[in-house]
Amino acid sequence: MTLPKQDTDALAAIVGAEHVRVEPGELAPYARDATPLFHAEPDAVVFPATTGEVAEVLKLATERGIPVTPRGAGTNLCAATVAERGGIVLVLTRLNRILEISREELLARVEPGVTTARLADAAGAEGLLYAPDPGSRTASTVGGNVATCAGGLRGLKYGVTRNYVLGLTAVLPTGEVVRTGGRLWKDVAGYDLTRLLTGSEGTLAVITEVTVALLPTPAGSGTGVAYFGSLADACRAVTAVISAGLVPATLEFLDQKCVAAVEEFAALGLRTDAGALLLFGDDGTDDVVAGNLARMAEVCTSAGALEVTLAEDVARSEALLAARRCSLPALSRLNSLTILEDATVPRPKLAEMVDRIDAIAARHELMIATFGHAGDGNLHPTCVLDPDDAGAVDRAHKAFAEIFAAAVELGGTITGEHGVGAAKLPYLADRIGPEQVALLRRIKSAFDPAHILNPGKLGS
Amino acid sequence: MTEPAERGIFGKDLLDRCISCGFCLPACPTYELTGDEASSPRGRITLMRALETGRLDEDDPTLAEESSFCLGCRSCETVCPAGVEYGTLLEQWRDHQWRGRRRPWIARLLMAVVSRTWLLRLQGLVRRHARTRKREDGPALMLGCVERGLYPRVSRAARALRPELTAPAAQGCCGALHAHNGDSAKGAELARELGERLPGRIVTTAGGCAAHLSTHLGRDRVKEVGEYLAEAGHRALGEVRAGDRRARVALQDSCHLRNGMGVTRQPRDLIRAVADYVELPGAGDCCGAAGTYAMLRPKDSRAVLDPKLDAIEQSGVDYVVAVNPGCLRQLQQGLRARRSTVRALHLVELLREAQNARE
Repeated sequence: MTLPKQDTDALAAIVGAEHVRVEPGELAPYARDATPLFHAEPDAVVFPATTGEVAEVLKLATERGIPVTPRGAGTNLCAATVAERGGIVLVLTRLNRILEISREELLARVEPGVTTARLADAAGAEGLLYAPDPGSRTASTVGGNVATCAGGLRGLKYGVTRNYVLGLTAVLPTGEVVRTGGRLWKDVAGYDLTRLLTGSEGTLAVITEVTVALLPTPAGSGTGVAYFGSLADACRAVTAVISAGLVPATLEFLDQKCVAAVEEFAALGLRTDAGALLLFGDDGTDDVVAGNLARMAEVCTSAGALEVTLAEDVARSEALLAARRCSLPALSRLNSLTILEDATVPRPKLAEMVDRIDAIAARHELMIATFGHAGDGNLHPTCVLDPDDAGAVDRAHKAFAEIFAAAVELGGTITGEHGVGAAKLPYLADRIGPEQVALLRRIKSAFDPAHILNPGKLGS
Repeated sequence: MTEPAERGIFGKDLLDRCISCGFCLPACPTYELTGDEASSPRGRITLMRALETGRLDEDDPTLAEESSFCLGCRSCETVCPAGVEYGTLLEQWRDHQWRGRRRPWIARLLMAVVSRTWLLRLQGLVRRHARTRKREDGPALMLGCVERGLYPRVSRAARALRPELTAPAAQGCCGALHAHNGDSAKGAELARELGERLPGRIVTTAGGCAAHLSTHLGRDRVKEVGEYLAEAGHRALGEVRAGDRRARVALQDSCHLRNGMGVTRQPRDLIRAVADYVELPGAGDCCGAAGTYAMLRPKDSRAVLDPKLDAIEQSGVDYVVAVNPGCLRQLQQGLRARRSTVRALHLVELLREAQNARE
């Protein structure tokens, strides 16, 4: 499908001709996001600069029945921003202002195209913490974080993006602008549309402004590393840490393959001979941090750690966390097709889940490396394979279907923090049941009567 | 849809390395300017793939525009956990993109001039670059094609600092200019020829040349002058003053030196030895000179340079030091246009000034 000239002219009249792209070379870079194996070219790429322009574009799209896929930096791993049905990719990177940071109210108001790291840095300059910490934070946008309800490395103690979204300005596909929530912690007027839009993956409305809660920056922080003989051993240590009443800010695990790949990029001097690594960290006053880290080290040691070391300073802590954030791309050094998944199970089932992943990988003759947010029970089994081996790709799909089934069977879910997108859609009904799928569809119709927003995703 | 046969423009494994994670986006100066995926490293690699598989026509205007819009600063490589060799991909892309098409006349003129050794010699003689008659034992000082014309005092300063450096006049150009402008075969040939004319270790005063030469002659044979001075243990120097106080000096990294060769510490240490060092907020970000880029795309080049000039003026420094002639020219012109009091110098010129202060 190519858009008729009258449509592209109308789009150009709204945002300016230079902000509408329709040539093949201009469209090609928008055919994909960070999800492998998904590829669909849009018919136009449009860059609005204001809420008003977004509203006009959506109104036009509803009238003409043109699909619209909103997009930030395109770092998501569930094909949430691939234009499955063509139409318009609506890029929100020009909406990139930090509108306000308030120390009195502990909040920030930003446009969706601001990167997560830029918001965190701006808050940090005021002595404030923006707690959500997705691995792709330097590139990913706040709008995208809200749309997918991104998680990250601080999830155990601080939760995910939805725990920080106070209010949203969003444009409905029909062009109406709604303001949900606001600046208050306590506000129970009406349905909680802020929560509904958070994680709605651009299927209900386009977010054009976000108000997030901030916290005072903790006085100090620290990180430690524990090595284990196997990933299952590390999982049992996680349960021991939580059972000891400790809630660290960070509790991340990497198996041996991940450690080796990360070490090749970051050269931190990590031990690559152990079966698994557990990265733990906490923040607070210096005494509290020192006390908690010491207790975590103790618990890990009695849970069978081969070796435990504490980072000597903040720079080393930061380097360890930064290295952990790059696990996925670093793994691609092993082979060029890297499929990462995002299964989550209750913490006590972690060890059983990693055993099942190993068995599934062995049965399908695949290399699956696993890392993730151990403290949240959130695993990222990552299959590394040769893209030219069609048989292997096929086996990987089968293996992941089994992994999701295992996660659901153990009381877990098919995505802990990445969202559903197009990639996870086939598994959604297994997770939430047909009644809920039907309800999602009715909600979708209420927001988006013409079904133009991100079709092929949630609720469609 | 069946994929058309691949064209073999790019090394296959090179393109496959990119998994589109997007970690490169915030490092890219052109993506910073536009917010458009097409002008990011990830987007450009998607374009290269489309070219390779025939999804895009070879004459597609976006391919031409984006291959030329990229500064080639390679800062994306330093943040890429997957280890994508973007610089190599860009050279392969430009080779294909510009084959059989007329390059801009400035690029053609420069490439023609610098590949003629006798012309470079003549230019050096007129401009009085450093010269030593017969080959001695010390490492060879590479004189640089642009530097001989624009900054002959750089090679003179380098020799004054380290007299053991020999500077034969017949050495030619390293070919970096060709490699960056879509003729990597000629670029490689010139590098090899220069390697034959200057056997043994080669010291360069240009970050771009250093990175290009070390790719073709091996990292062991090539030293950037800051690296060399730091290693050779530079002699005790005086200090550079500004009026009645020690001068405040900032460094602008040369992209290819920083991102291609990983040299960042040595020039800073050398400045610290003779002046008060001030770290600029974006010292590692490209200044927009990017070889011939400033001449070919002056408007885009200025857009990249402007925030840097703001940062330099706000920092309150007396001097800003560059380690590459292109960057030096870019900074000097930019500062002059603003009537700034800040002076731009090459690293060895600054050190030479400190040496003079002592003598």
